[in-house]
Amino acid sequence: MTMVETSAPRSLYTADARTKARNAAEKRFRIYGITAVVIGLLALVVLLSSVLGSGLGAFRQTVLSLPITLDAKALDPKGNRDPAEMAKATTVTYAKLITKALEAVVIEQNLAPEMSTKNIGALISKEAPAGLRDMVLADPDLLGTTITYDVLASGRVDGFFKGRVTMESAALDSNITPEQLQLAEKLRDAGLLKLAFNTGFLTNPDASELRPESAGLGVAILGSIYMMVLVLCLALPIGVAASIYLEEFAPKNRFTDLIEVNVANLAAVPSIVYGILGLAAFINFAGMPQSSPLVGALVLTLMTLPRIIIPTRAALNAVPPSIREAALGVGASKTQTIFHHVLPLAVPGILTGAIIGLAQALGETAPLLLIGMVAFVKDYPGAPPEGILDPASAIPVQIYNWTQRADPAFVERASGAIIVLLVFLLVMNSLAVILRRKFERRW
Amino acid sequence: MNNMRLTERAVTTDVTKFTARKVQVYYGASHAIKDVDIDILDKTVTAFIGPSGCGKSTFLRCLNRMNDTIDICRVEGAIQLDGEDIYDKKVDPVQLRARVGMVFQKPNPFPKSIYDNVAYGPKIHGLVRNKTELDEVVESALRKAALWNEVKDRLAAPGTGLSGGQQQRLCIARAVATSPEVLLMDEPCSALDPIATAQVEELIDELRSNFSVVIVTHSMQQAARVSQRTAFFHLGNLVEFGETGQIFTNPRDPRTESYITGRIG
Repeated sequence: MTMVETSAPRSLYTADARTKARNAAEKRFRIYGITAVVIGLLALVVLLSSVLGSGLGAFRQTVLSLPITLDAKALDPKGNRDPAEMAKATTVTYAKLITKALEAVVIEQNLAPEMSTKNIGALISKEAPAGLRDMVLADPDLLGTTITYDVLASGRVDGFFKGRVTMESAALDSNITPEQLQLAEKLRDAGLLKLAFNTGFLTNPDASELRPESAGLGVAILGSIYMMVLVLCLALPIGVAASIYLEEFAPKNRFTDLIEVNVANLAAVPSIVYGILGLAAFINFAGMPQSSPLVGALVLTLMTLPRIIIPTRAALNAVPPSIREAALGVGASKTQTIFHHVLPLAVPGILTGAIIGLAQALGETAPLLLIGMVAFVKDYPGAPPEGILDPASAIPVQIYNWTQRADPAFVERASGAIIVLLVFLLVMNSLAVILRRKFERRW
Repeated sequence: MNNMRLTERAVTTDVTKFTARKVQVYYGASHAIKDVDIDILDKTVTAFIGPSGCGKSTFLRCLNRMNDTIDICRVEGAIQLDGEDIYDKKVDPVQLRARVGMVFQKPNPFPKSIYDNVAYGPKIHGLVRNKTELDEVVESALRKAALWNEVKDRLAAPGTGLSGGQQQRLCIARAVATSPEVLLMDEPCSALDPIATAQVEELIDELRSNFSVVIVTHSMQQAARVSQRTAFFHLGNLVEFGETGQIFTNPRDPRTESYITGRIG
């Protein structure tokens, strides 16, 4: 008999060398784990604070509250209130009205005695007249009255109050002068200029390079919603049906093994490859319209399918065999067993997988670039079902788009759009958790 | 073995339900059941005993074709229920299982209400025409399973919330609800405590008046207590089959004697 020699006395009060080594190993591992968690949390904090820091500004916008007299003679020369006739008054006419209103205020309060009408008018966004015109065309009774209207200030003025534009940078800027900024400050002190909640950011369509102040996510949000609904309607039934067949009915042979390996591989294929496939198959071959939510949804469906099939199969597989035996034992057919017992128990897993797959699809940019959703889209897509063929944008593509632009005002917009996207993702993930809790049944 | 309570009731019928001849079962390459010939009588409790891995559960699962769900399993030979070959191509195992119910080792109620657990079988087989009839079937099945008095006030409660013994009786009620002719029980008491076991055993004895019961058990005392006929399996062979009293008091085969006296198994 050979025994391991123990030098230390065998007492329970003193740990031997092996125990010490084991405990030290456990302690080290705990420290690694805590470090990893702390690094992860720090990264999250940095990410959120940088996004919130640069993006929250997008939800507030500088506006000028001006009393505008809607001159009936200029806007409706024939005086018959016919919308078709009134539409002949272009934004140029409205721009003159707004400039006049601002100038009147400036002169009345003697804020900038030296400044020309043109320079005063430069404080106002070039997009502002369009909004006023739409309002008047929608309600011709406003003609002849004086209304207080919140006029969008130009992007530079907006940037000045958000700290993006300074007097020094304005001196070098051809779009704004320090004098104009001083006037803006005086207007603010007079209570005419203020930062208001920016509903336009969520409802407006994209705007051109020169008008960051009016750029919004309206078209992108609508496009993303169209696509998500289509992806849900296509990917969930197809994915669940495929999973049920593969998991429950398909014979185990080389062919189904091949399918299984392929599904797993497809989940790992870079998304841009799906974009190329969509371009070739749906646009070039099938002749579907470019930039349309339909094509986007089809591409995202292909991408999402394996990501739904894999968790669905896992969820089906996790249903205990005793439940299947019980159902078969009372004489249920295979289909009855699956639809009455197995599927209901797998629903939480399936829903979680589907929503996480959808969330990934919502944040996907690369495949949408290839099918033309990166195009500048100013018009809202129509109501469904025809609307799914109209050009639209998507939130992640809009973010990508805005980060490409020169004006720093778009950086703020892009960060704001990231916040909107994160809110959407958060809502979807919470939904996954809630549904999971709701349908979870113990056995 | 002194405290064994041999069932007093004699076998009251000689109508054969199951006739098995030269049954072979293969799992892939392994030969799990070899040349089994057995006749299972109506209104009789037949116990299958034997050491672990002897094939008694496998053979039981042949009787309602539950082995069909295992891809690599292959059954040869003839098994007849009332003179009809259950492995005939024309037989739909679903119809067979409605006539041959099964209770499993671990209580496995559906994660649904007590009522739905029992009502499921009659519903899918179209045994009832309306809710009133269904209520009657559920009540009578729960009464037959000696569970009615305990659960009649909470039929909507989940079946999984019952105790282990109650769950197993619920599973018996579920199997009984489809009015099967034969009830197969695969070690129905192995997950239960002695009191629940006693309740289930009593129940099995009562069920005998309506059904033919086949029970697989590890416990020789249980076989002796509840069954009229006992089959001893060893290494895939049916070693001995006869009256329970004779098997336990006067086994003909030395292997049976070794097993019941505790020398093997």
